[in-house]
Amino acid sequence: MPRFFLHIDDGTQRIEDEEGSDLLDLAAAREEALGAARQLWAAAILAGQDIAARRFVITDGDGTVMDTVDMDEALPEKLARRLRL
Amino acid sequence: MAFNNRLLRALSLADQEVLRAHLRWSELERGTVLVSPDEPISRVWFPESGLTSIIAMAGSDQGIEVGLAGRDGLVGMPLVLDADRTPHRIFMQVSGAAYSVDGDIFRAVLDDHASIRKLLLRYVQAYSTQTTYTALSNAMHTVEERLARWLLMSHDRQDDDEIPLTHDFLALMLGVRRPSVTIALHSLEGLGFIKATRGLILVRKREELEEFAGAGYGVPEAEYERLIGQLR
Repeated sequence: MPRFFLHIDDGTQRIEDEEGSDLLDLAAAREEALGAARQLWAAAILAGQDIAARRFVITDGDGTVMDTVDMDEALPEKLARRLRL
Repeated sequence: MAFNNRLLRALSLADQEVLRAHLRWSELERGTVLVSPDEPISRVWFPESGLTSIIAMAGSDQGIEVGLAGRDGLVGMPLVLDADRTPHRIFMQVSGAAYSVDGDIFRAVLDDHASIRKLLLRYVQAYSTQTTYTALSNAMHTVEERLARWLLMSHDRQDDDEIPLTHDFLALMLGVRRPSVTIALHSLEGLGFIKATRGLILVRKREELEEFAGAGYGVPEAEYERLIGQLR
């Protein structure tokens, strides 16, 4: 299985994923990022924080960007739409 | 020869001699399974170093850590409590070494030596307090606070300040996805409490970390010291 790295970018800095995860393919890496984003939202809402500016940057082992996942992609569609207004 | 295991150390010299004849020394690699769910427990382990993790299973391949034992404790607690197995899985989370004793011999020793049995029962009480505070922490605390607590508990059970743990392991310990661990480590690092490098976490400001962990840390540790003796 290929190794994917899920770095977190908040616009000003990037929190590096130094270890990476062995996942089936890019679709599985996106799913992992979405699941993680939902968990981060849950914690952020409880703490009264807004993490909408953050996003996941998915790279391979060489650091090549494969995809990005914005935090609002993990929200229920109705909520995400309001957020984008 | 002095023991590093705090339970063996807390025994009287006479009681230590009773057990010593039956002890076998083993080096234990990370990942070694010491107790498998629902299988008879054949040996009891007294870790001298390293960390064992007690996992409550959710199905056959998922679970969450409910307890932690290293040189403070023993693995195979059901035998102290007149049970022969547990639904939990217990494995080495940080490699180390342990003395072990055959389960039948262990039971016979407990039957014959009340002072050994009593000390180990007090340990069960201390361990049980630890798990109740894990329950409290899981319900009341943020991932950052729980991570701080967990790092302190590991730090208590080893000599140096570097804890060899991957984010993957920490995710299992805390029951969260790996990016949540990455962010929590980043926060604690931002506060200057720790330094996290690949697979290694350095505890830099222990007192501040304790303060940050709040109510999750301290009570079980004090209880251990009251019932058994020095933990760290």
